[in-house]
Amino acid sequence: MLPDSLLLFIVLAPGIAALFGLFHKIIGDRIVMLVTTGTVLTAGALSLYQLFAYVAGLGHAGGHEAHAALDAYLTAGPAHGTQELKQHIITLMPWIEVGNFKANWAIRVDALSIVMMAVITGVSGLVHLYSWGYMSEEPHKARFFAYLSLFTFMMLMLVVADNFIQLFFGWEGVGLASYLLIGFWYTKKAPNDASIKAFVTNRVGDFGLALGIMAVFFVFGSVEFGPVLDAIRNNAVVTPVAFAEAAPAREVIMTFLGQRVYALELIGILLFIGAMGKSAQFFLHVWLPDAMEGPTPVSALIHAATMVTAGVYLVCLVSPIYEYTFYAAGMITLVGAVTALYAATVGMAQNDIKRVIAYSTCSQLGYMFFAAGVGAYEAAMFHLFTHAFFKALLFLGAGSVIHGMHHEQDMRRMGGLAKFMPLTYAAMMIGTIAIIGLGIPHTKLGFSGFFSKDAILESTFAGGTAQVMFGQMAFWFGLLAAFLTSFYSWRLIYMTFHGPLTQHGEHHDHGHHDTHESEDVKGEEHPADDHHAHTPHESPMVMLIPLGLLSLGAIFAGFYFYDAFVEANNEAFWAGAIYRAAENHVLHDRHNVPEWVLWAPLVVTLAGFVLASMTYFFNRGVGARIAASGGPLHALFSNKWYFDEIYQATLVRGSAFLGNIFWKADKKIIDGVGPDGAAWFAGFSARRLAKLHTGYLYHYAFVIIGAAIVFGAILWLRAGGAN
Amino acid sequence: MGGFPILTAMTFLPLIGALLIVLVRAATAGSRAAADDGRQNRAILMASLIISAATFVLSVAAFLSFDASQPGYQLVEQHAWYGPISYKLGIDGLSISLILLTTFLTPICLLASWNSIDTRVTEYVVAFLVLETFMIGVFTALDLVLFYIFFEAGLIPMFLIIGIWGGKDRIYASFKFFLYTLIGSLLLLVAAIYMIQAAGSADFEVLEQYAFDPGIQTWLWLAFLASFAVKLPMWPVHTWLPDAHVQAPTAGSVVLAGVLLKMGGYGMLRFSLPMFPDASAYFQPMMFALAVVAIIYTSLVAWRQTDMKKLIAYSSVAHMGFVTLGIFAFNETGIQGAILQMLSHGLISGALFLIVGVVYDRMHTREIAAYGGLVGRMPIYAGFFMLFTMANVGLPGTSGFVGEILTMVGGFQAATWAAFGAAFGVIFSAVYMLTLYRRTVFGEITNPHLEDIKDMNRIEWVCIAPLAALTILFGIAPNLIFAVTSGATARIIALMAGGQ
Repeated sequence: MLPDSLLLFIVLAPGIAALFGLFHKIIGDRIVMLVTTGTVLTAGALSLYQLFAYVAGLGHAGGHEAHAALDAYLTAGPAHGTQELKQHIITLMPWIEVGNFKANWAIRVDALSIVMMAVITGVSGLVHLYSWGYMSEEPHKARFFAYLSLFTFMMLMLVVADNFIQLFFGWEGVGLASYLLIGFWYTKKAPNDASIKAFVTNRVGDFGLALGIMAVFFVFGSVEFGPVLDAIRNNAVVTPVAFAEAAPAREVIMTFLGQRVYALELIGILLFIGAMGKSAQFFLHVWLPDAMEGPTPVSALIHAATMVTAGVYLVCLVSPIYEYTFYAAGMITLVGAVTALYAATVGMAQNDIKRVIAYSTCSQLGYMFFAAGVGAYEAAMFHLFTHAFFKALLFLGAGSVIHGMHHEQDMRRMGGLAKFMPLTYAAMMIGTIAIIGLGIPHTKLGFSGFFSKDAILESTFAGGTAQVMFGQMAFWFGLLAAFLTSFYSWRLIYMTFHGPLTQHGEHHDHGHHDTHESEDVKGEEHPADDHHAHTPHESPMVMLIPLGLLSLGAIFAGFYFYDAFVEANNEAFWAGAIYRAAENHVLHDRHNVPEWVLWAPLVVTLAGFVLASMTYFFNRGVGARIAASGGPLHALFSNKWYFDEIYQATLVRGSAFLGNIFWKADKKIIDGVGPDGAAWFAGFSARRLAKLHTGYLYHYAFVIIGAAIVFGAILWLRAGGAN
Repeated sequence: MGGFPILTAMTFLPLIGALLIVLVRAATAGSRAAADDGRQNRAILMASLIISAATFVLSVAAFLSFDASQPGYQLVEQHAWYGPISYKLGIDGLSISLILLTTFLTPICLLASWNSIDTRVTEYVVAFLVLETFMIGVFTALDLVLFYIFFEAGLIPMFLIIGIWGGKDRIYASFKFFLYTLIGSLLLLVAAIYMIQAAGSADFEVLEQYAFDPGIQTWLWLAFLASFAVKLPMWPVHTWLPDAHVQAPTAGSVVLAGVLLKMGGYGMLRFSLPMFPDASAYFQPMMFALAVVAIIYTSLVAWRQTDMKKLIAYSSVAHMGFVTLGIFAFNETGIQGAILQMLSHGLISGALFLIVGVVYDRMHTREIAAYGGLVGRMPIYAGFFMLFTMANVGLPGTSGFVGEILTMVGGFQAATWAAFGAAFGVIFSAVYMLTLYRRTVFGEITNPHLEDIKDMNRIEWVCIAPLAALTILFGIAPNLIFAVTSGATARIIALMAGGQ
């Protein structure tokens, strides 16, 4: 299979191509576009070849003889019970070496990274191509393509890391690329706000991830995946650096913030907080819808197919940890299930075409997480894989609509586009059928979402039966979300492609708050563009070809890879990259679930379809009337459960308030008793003395906070909680 | 190097150069015509540049003759002076890396003054060169009295640089700077006298081996802390820094943030830990608490600033909090991280002050509100600014990340709550830096004066590009530094263990 030199090419070449962007003044935009697109498309072809060859090498028999075919490529690591981890590591150079804290720049290839590399470079290549059309009127094309390639490079570095630190490099690197691309239209307020929000919210997650990595080092004395995960697989005795007794890896108890906790639970929760930020899970999801301020190809690549799935990848990568945690795995299931349902409710009530798809992404990521939470990592990765195709397709299709509609994103001003853009319509239909997971149980007839989503729901049901924490709840939430998914997906199709063309209709008739957002987007993406004067048009070939290729994936990826990812061949396919504890049988038990569990997703999907058809197709206008009549639920959903408002009022205002107090404390209190105070003391000025008693709020607040901190610290230290 | 006293030469070359400039200037003073002022100023600046460049070359030569695999002091030059006091110079991995930072930044500072300083140029370059001698001296001195002289003498040129070439509130700022540092210095002096009395020598190597009584250690440690905490600066004795930075000329800010602050961290590593190990261990929780408060408190304050330089100054205090955290973790990860964080901060904050200087020279305001939309007119500037913004935020791949993560890892091993608190800095730094960047660089141009602002010129390029290169180099290959500093770190840890 792929020799080292080609692996190096796949990972590094996009980074080098991105550097061409620095010289666009000299070499011109076109060269930059050619180099980046050519490089990433080549890398994509190689990675896809690698994936197909890898799957083909499994043979059809399944089981152990398939290993022989792989041995040439993926060298086996130490044995881990029945599941042997097969991986191939190229060490590039040492990065950080301080005592035991060692991290290399490396390229590590195992089944997980083979899948991720194919997804990343495949989608990225198509998005590069698509952008030739979509961004053709942009003045800063070189910058855009360079950022895209930079993103691709960072994402690849993330998935080929052989240690937590390089993973963190990629993790923050994709955050940087995402920040730059969301804020691509830098003169506008909304993209700038959204880009900062994205970066900072991700940093909140990274706060957890960084602490998680520290805890890993603390317990295992290493930040490299190999030693850490092996220790858990084998339950080897580890000696933590301090404050904890030597113990078998799964049972280490450490002291964190004065609490005695199971180290694996702590690590699991902290790492998952990182995943929540990157994958926009409940509480940390607020940045993803706003990220739609970026150009649509970016939304397809970063905010649908790849970057936001990094959290899922992380959870699957460290599956040995979650296999031996109770609360951490339960938290993943709970957060995933809540996100799946929450985002679907909000998605129903949005009118911006991109925001609908964004919430849909958020919801689908929730599915992946609760699947991983109940132990069906394979199903989670499978859904990640198929989702990449149909969600990228939906976004690029939406981009084609926006392009054809001259930068209109409000679905209330669309309609009847099927006749103007038949190919885009077909692509969107395929994407929709794939995302709602249409397919017939007991047969292998269905679009790709059918295979992965049903695998998730069945495994989750099996997990729930086996008393996995929150498993039962996740199944019902997932089922309900499947109903909503079908509803909002068809609503999108009907509002956009069916009925009369309403673009030339009244501009002042939209009800509530997101009027302002869509107006912003419309006006700002292209201020010069006069949106009245055009009829919708089909997009150019360069945009349609990626849609066509992604459509193939959306239709066939599930069928083709079903066996390898979650069925008979899955152990040979994952080759130890995903670890399951001996007592975890969810993937197998899903075959023993009651018959109705198999049919339930189909039923709710059809119900969603019927409801959407009733309100947005046969009785067009009913949906709009329901929306217009308000109602508390609709208000709640369309306002995203008021998360932004709540965060603004508490976290943002609170920090600003503290910042102001501290700042004034610097001036008045520290300087007051310090240098200025020295002068005052010398002069013994009564005037200054009076100033200390002026009764300013910040004054008292500072004293109170300061005193609270001091007394709290004293009490805590006395209680022996100093570590 | 045979008998050639390279450390002495390196330390005093700037001072001798400054004297030469004064002499030449005095000799030609009578003959100069007013019209030649500009040319003469350039000539003086060029001369100072050559001197500081030569000093850099000497420091590189010293570095090359330094054997990183040996932990102790090297290239030692010792001459008896007076009783227990001797003239003793030497370097280890810790000091040579800070010396290289000093000799690297000084020419950049002088070059950055090329167009921005046009009054009293002779005095200016003399002040800078004298300052360089004192800064290098602080890091080479291996005698407590010698160290004290360099440490305190450095105050004077810095005081003058702020007080003469500073902004409109320069007198208040320099007064505050002086008052703060002087009080710390007095306590340091008292402690130093006691130590020399007790140990019978001012030699570092003697003092390191001398076991001070734990009760006495506490007082000595506190006296040293008074000085180092002000220099670093630690909360709550940091308030001189924002004022000093705001009023100082660009080059003054660069050297202040880049080198002078590092003396605090250097002092802790050179004195507090190895000489007073019991007291250091005793005060560890307090130092962690102060570090965490500094990181959170000053990050939030930084966010509320309306003046670019003040924002970066407050961010410096937060970043120095990581240094404190790493040093007082007492483990290899923490101390190596702290040293790297000091070097990295020297590069990054130095560069950020240069970046503010670039637009200040054009617009003569540091108000954030006066800017906005610069990227449209200054794309190269925007690129560098983005790089250093991300470096300051601690993005992996820049040196800022390595320092922060290692100090936190070190802190986590010593006390999880310290790392937990410090990690908030990771969030807040993104808030204030991205807000700053967005308000100055992104957005529409609203200030009509910005319409025809020019991008970075060649001199500014030459100043900032090397800093950018090093920030990335040490971000992806920090082992280059760890190889140099590991011996010194191991020695400090060993001395601590020996004392306890």
